[in-house]
Amino acid sequence: MIKAENVVKIFPGHSGVVRAVDGVSTEVARGEVVVIIGPSGSGKSTFLRCINGLEAFTEGHIIIDGVDLADRKTNINKVRAEVGMVFQQFNLFPHKTVLENLTLAQCRVRKRSKKEAEEKGRMLLRKVGIHEKADEYPSRLSGGQQQRVAIARALAMDPKIMLFDEPTSALDPEMVGEVLDVMKQLAREGMTMMVVTHEMGFAREVADRVIFMDEGKVVEVGTPEHFFTSPREERAKLFLKQVL
Amino acid sequence: MLAVILLLVAAGTWGAVQQIDYQWRWNRVPQYFAYVAEEAQKTPFDGKVVAIVEKGENALVTVASEGSEKVELTVTDNTLKVSEGEDLFAGDTVGFSKSWRLGPLMFGLWTTLWLSAVSSVFGLFLGLITGLARVSKNFTLRGIAIIYVECIRGTPLLVQIFIAYFFLGTVFDLSRNVCGVGALALFAGAYVAEIVRAGIQSISKGQTEAARSLGMTKFQTMWDIVLPQAFKRILPPLSGQFISLIKDSSLVSVIAITDLTKSGKEIITSTFATFEIWIVVAAMYLLVTSILSQLVFYMERRLAVSD
Repeated sequence: MIKAENVVKIFPGHSGVVRAVDGVSTEVARGEVVVIIGPSGSGKSTFLRCINGLEAFTEGHIIIDGVDLADRKTNINKVRAEVGMVFQQFNLFPHKTVLENLTLAQCRVRKRSKKEAEEKGRMLLRKVGIHEKADEYPSRLSGGQQQRVAIARALAMDPKIMLFDEPTSALDPEMVGEVLDVMKQLAREGMTMMVVTHEMGFAREVADRVIFMDEGKVVEVGTPEHFFTSPREERAKLFLKQVL
Repeated sequence: MLAVILLLVAAGTWGAVQQIDYQWRWNRVPQYFAYVAEEAQKTPFDGKVVAIVEKGENALVTVASEGSEKVELTVTDNTLKVSEGEDLFAGDTVGFSKSWRLGPLMFGLWTTLWLSAVSSVFGLFLGLITGLARVSKNFTLRGIAIIYVECIRGTPLLVQIFIAYFFLGTVFDLSRNVCGVGALALFAGAYVAEIVRAGIQSISKGQTEAARSLGMTKFQTMWDIVLPQAFKRILPPLSGQFISLIKDSSLVSVIAITDLTKSGKEIITSTFATFEIWIVVAAMYLLVTSILSQLVFYMERRLAVSD
């Protein structure tokens, strides 16, 4: 489904260049839930952003459903329509109501009728449990509710893959649970997901595979069971000791 | 406290005016807003008054010639100069018709209004395009936008109007109205461009990323997501710019466009009521700009629903 080959992302910095992502290769199968963890600055978010082209990578290939993002002829908008993304800062459109947030891209990109888009939108809002807020503006919602709307907004496009970029990091602790519950439900339904997170409990419970990154490189890959109980690499051990 | 200060200022002005020898003639002002025009109604041929029919304040006079020519003239009753059966020669005055006419101040106001409105629309359009070019990644577009904005902001509007009229107007054979509107629109456009650029840049990058990640194109993202939010933010400075434009439009009087200012100047040459006319002209500008700010205030409240 997703195949990353030797992806390199270089940022020009003040003191030389920064290799934010340094030769990452991985593959994600349909229906698989992959959790990427690692210390901050390890390039995990940058890698995730490369997958839907928000960050243009310097070298390597990312192939989504047979389409190579490194190919200049690839229509990035078509790829993005198939790849949903949830951000740390929610990034809901503040001048649109909750329902309009869900319908806009459906109408513009998927060319659905307004009625069809609204039906889909209401169905998804019911699914994430905030149906009664459909006509409110995002500023009236709590952080957890906003993030659930953001998930519903991405799902409204019927994506084949969902990317989550630290979806719970900007939330108050008591709201983390409601967002994770929605994500767990998605995973159970067989959605292909790549999640960058610091929620080790979530990784342990939901992930099929855990990727540990540090300094732009993949350090260790394994099942959650293996990774959380007997990691091989020193850096992974050190990281786990600090967060658990 | 405010009232006291205002009273003191008013009293001081009053006192100062008393010191000089100036004859106030406020009664001369109203006729320049609207006046009653008297127009002599004359018979176009030799003939006889065959009928006079009273119609309220007016009288309908029917004049018939010896041939079968007939004409009906409407005159105000108390200016009627003929009676039934009277013989008339071509060019004789039957009476006067009175009607209300708008005075030069109203025509000047109208010119100022349409001039500002048309320049605002062009200026907004130009500013939007330039503002977008200013934030574009394309070097050429950005360069053109920067040069345009810098040239306009770095030269006085009065000089720009002169260049537009005497240079461009002559070379391209443009009318003075086109030159006036063009100069004002170009001037406003440069300032609007900077406002638009600041507005666009004030919208967080996350908004663009969220829209693009949903598969929306650059254009859709700009049109549906960034510009509506930016517009809400730039409404106060934008309205300030358009209020400035209304006031700056007074400068086109130098190329003989009869706007409110020029009308005022013309009236003064015939009445010598310098103080009164300039005060009235100022009050009329103030009225127009206040109405505009109230309108913008109302719009701001309407747009605040999503906050």
